[in-house]
Amino acid sequence: MTRPLMVLSFALGVGVASAQSNILQLPLINDPIMNPLIAPELGSILVNKVIFPGLVRPNEDLQPVPDLARSWTITNGGLVYTFTLRDDVRWHDGKPFTADDVVFTFNTARDPKSGSRLASDFSSIKSVEARGRNTVRFVLSRPFAPFLILLGHNAGILPKHLLEGKDLNSATAFNRQTPIGTGPFKVSRVVPGASVTLVANRDYYGGAPKLDGITFKVVPDLNTQVAQLRSGGLDWVTLEPSNLPSVQGAQNVTIKQADAVQHYLVFFNQKNPLFTSATVRRAMQYAVNRRAIIDGILKGYADYPTGTIPTALRTYYDKSIKPVTYDPAQARKLLLQAGWRPNAQGILVNARGEPFKFTLIVDKGNATREQAALAVQQDLKRVGMDVTLQTLEFATLVRDYLIPGKYDANLIWWTTPPDPDQYSFYATGQDNNEAAWSNARADALLRRGRETVDPAARKNIYNAYQRLTMQDPPVLVLYYPKELQAISRRLTGVPDLGIRDALRHTERFDLR
Amino acid sequence: MLSPGFVARRVLHALVVLAVVAVVTFFIVRLAPGGPSLLADPALRDAERAAIEARLGLGDPLPVQFLKFVGNAVRGDFGQSFLFGTPTLQVIASRLGNTLILAGAALTLTLLVAVPLGTICGLRPHSWLDRLISVVSVVVLAVPVFWLGLMLIIALAVLRPVLPAGGMYTTGMEGNVPDLLRHLLLPAVVLASASIAELLRYTRSSVRSAARLDHVRTARAKGLPQRAVNLRHVLKNALIPVVTVIGLQLPRLVGGAAVTETIFAWPGMGRLSVEAALGRDYPLILGVTLVVALAVVLFNLLVDLLYPLIDPRIRTEA
Repeated sequence: MTRPLMVLSFALGVGVASAQSNILQLPLINDPIMNPLIAPELGSILVNKVIFPGLVRPNEDLQPVPDLARSWTITNGGLVYTFTLRDDVRWHDGKPFTADDVVFTFNTARDPKSGSRLASDFSSIKSVEARGRNTVRFVLSRPFAPFLILLGHNAGILPKHLLEGKDLNSATAFNRQTPIGTGPFKVSRVVPGASVTLVANRDYYGGAPKLDGITFKVVPDLNTQVAQLRSGGLDWVTLEPSNLPSVQGAQNVTIKQADAVQHYLVFFNQKNPLFTSATVRRAMQYAVNRRAIIDGILKGYADYPTGTIPTALRTYYDKSIKPVTYDPAQARKLLLQAGWRPNAQGILVNARGEPFKFTLIVDKGNATREQAALAVQQDLKRVGMDVTLQTLEFATLVRDYLIPGKYDANLIWWTTPPDPDQYSFYATGQDNNEAAWSNARADALLRRGRETVDPAARKNIYNAYQRLTMQDPPVLVLYYPKELQAISRRLTGVPDLGIRDALRHTERFDLR
Repeated sequence: MLSPGFVARRVLHALVVLAVVAVVTFFIVRLAPGGPSLLADPALRDAERAAIEARLGLGDPLPVQFLKFVGNAVRGDFGQSFLFGTPTLQVIASRLGNTLILAGAALTLTLLVAVPLGTICGLRPHSWLDRLISVVSVVVLAVPVFWLGLMLIIALAVLRPVLPAGGMYTTGMEGNVPDLLRHLLLPAVVLASASIAELLRYTRSSVRSAARLDHVRTARAKGLPQRAVNLRHVLKNALIPVVTVIGLQLPRLVGGAAVTETIFAWPGMGRLSVEAALGRDYPLILGVTLVVALAVVLFNLLVDLLYPLIDPRIRTEA
């Protein structure tokens, strides 16, 4: 069968497609929205990182270093940030980049009515103004320590001369076909549903990129992505641990792992009386064999958790805190203290004879999460809880269950900027605190943490917060995953970062 | 040949079908759990979520949304796709041609393989060839499309890289026909596989029953050569049910395209429908459904118009 196909293939006048020499090929799941303020999903965010630089970008320690800004000063106790911009930057259409572009971008970004998805990231901005052509001054309404990190995260700068006065979501030509940024690569061609082709920007302010171009190919199926990686049609694929066997042994591919600023967790709805007691939530930490989940399901590509601050935040993570290890006997003991004793069938019941019974939900279709949820259910059953597992489509899970708080327990994950600020996730009454956890001391620590600019003082605050969450766990943190990257051996110059942050440095990438 | 009354009835029929499809789809997708994927980010704050809902017009009660939809639809405006931010029909237009290429290739392949092979099997039942083809076609029918697709990719794009693993063109070669054909081969074979197996079995049984009809036996008894009997009497009679089955292949091609296009990264309507459904892009779901419904209705109409050409008895009835 192969021979006739080969003959046919040559008869069609084209040989085996050899990978274009110096063009990096990356996968996308669907067509990107090339506008950093409204990009809704990872694929769009990745493309935007290449096209739209920010004022700063993260270095290999995830700390902000200059990008479009040359330097900055922080004055008035962390309330005023003054940036000096580079004066050698041009937009991809040749127009000069100025302070007005920065002012336009942040005035739009902090206005939720503009359709911006970064509104809450920049809600601390009281005013932003241009002071001359190359100076921008931000005045914050309160000291906000993550500000610089957030500037280097998703906040690419947009061209005022093309977007001013337009509804961001309706600027289809810009968002879908002809985005104009200042980055090392510019969009040259978009084929809907198929690819976005970028060519090197020879006028890039950081020097000419080494690659000739980058092609983002729309390949929705992960198995097909892996097949294309192996056949040379793609150069970089991020994987789930279950995909590992399909790339192991491939000559042209190397596997790398990067720290991901993520924590995978189980929310317990604390409006449900079952979970209000901290003792019960502590018991869960002992009851679930997280080591088995990490070794078995994640093939070891994850760190064992101690609280909600992931190990990837090296500066702030407190290594000295002792993790809670699997100990079902200890779990039963704590549950007994909280008033739950096993009945004749081994099910935990309270003084009124009511069983410890709840439903754990997880999203459908991701093998890692489905298996982890199953492991959690089985472990909790082992200590006498009557747990039902329910899988739901992700959009349904979030919109109909998680957001309205109509759930008992939910396996999910948080991807955060590389900053320890978790105020919106775990402070009382915050939008993203869907577990309804409330701890006055944690509230105070989280508030102080985001307002303290001095790194050493901040570290102490978050270490105290981390210790506190071991005693009163807001959620059951399961693991801090690693990002698994399968990369073509030809690709060099990639910094040791997750793909999100690595793509802020594409001018250094090269293909041998 | 066709009375204006017949055509008018068929057109009216088509319009009714489309209207019913639109109403049913509108309410089913909106009453389904979940919502637009633009809102499915758990990290969105309430103010951001509210702004997106307002922009998408999801704040109105369902009947109001429906009336707005109908009002716009009769003017030919099917709304903006949530995911693409462009008019729904524009998004569909950018993908429709790609699917027609794939589905057309698959249908051609189906006809070229299934009808001749089915006829041979029907004329020579229980021969070794018939048995072999029966076994193969049962296996192909039983194999899931995505599995077959992945196996072919592994065999012919990874282990023996003779064909591309996916996409419609090599990037930078858009519009190059030989490049298109190379990319088309695997997805067309995968998409056609189940249709071939099904049509082949229909053709076989249809030819077998036609071969046993009285007038065929009479023709043979009159001493007409076997070849002439087969062509003039058996095949002509056997074709009617086969044409019906071909008519039924279209929805299957569209349904199969969703999986095939996803595996082969083919930028067509099938994948668009998956994206629309997963993203709960209400206008796009409706648009795609209506376009597919229209295609099915038109295809069935075409099949109905073909009957009288094949069978004179139907001509007199029509």
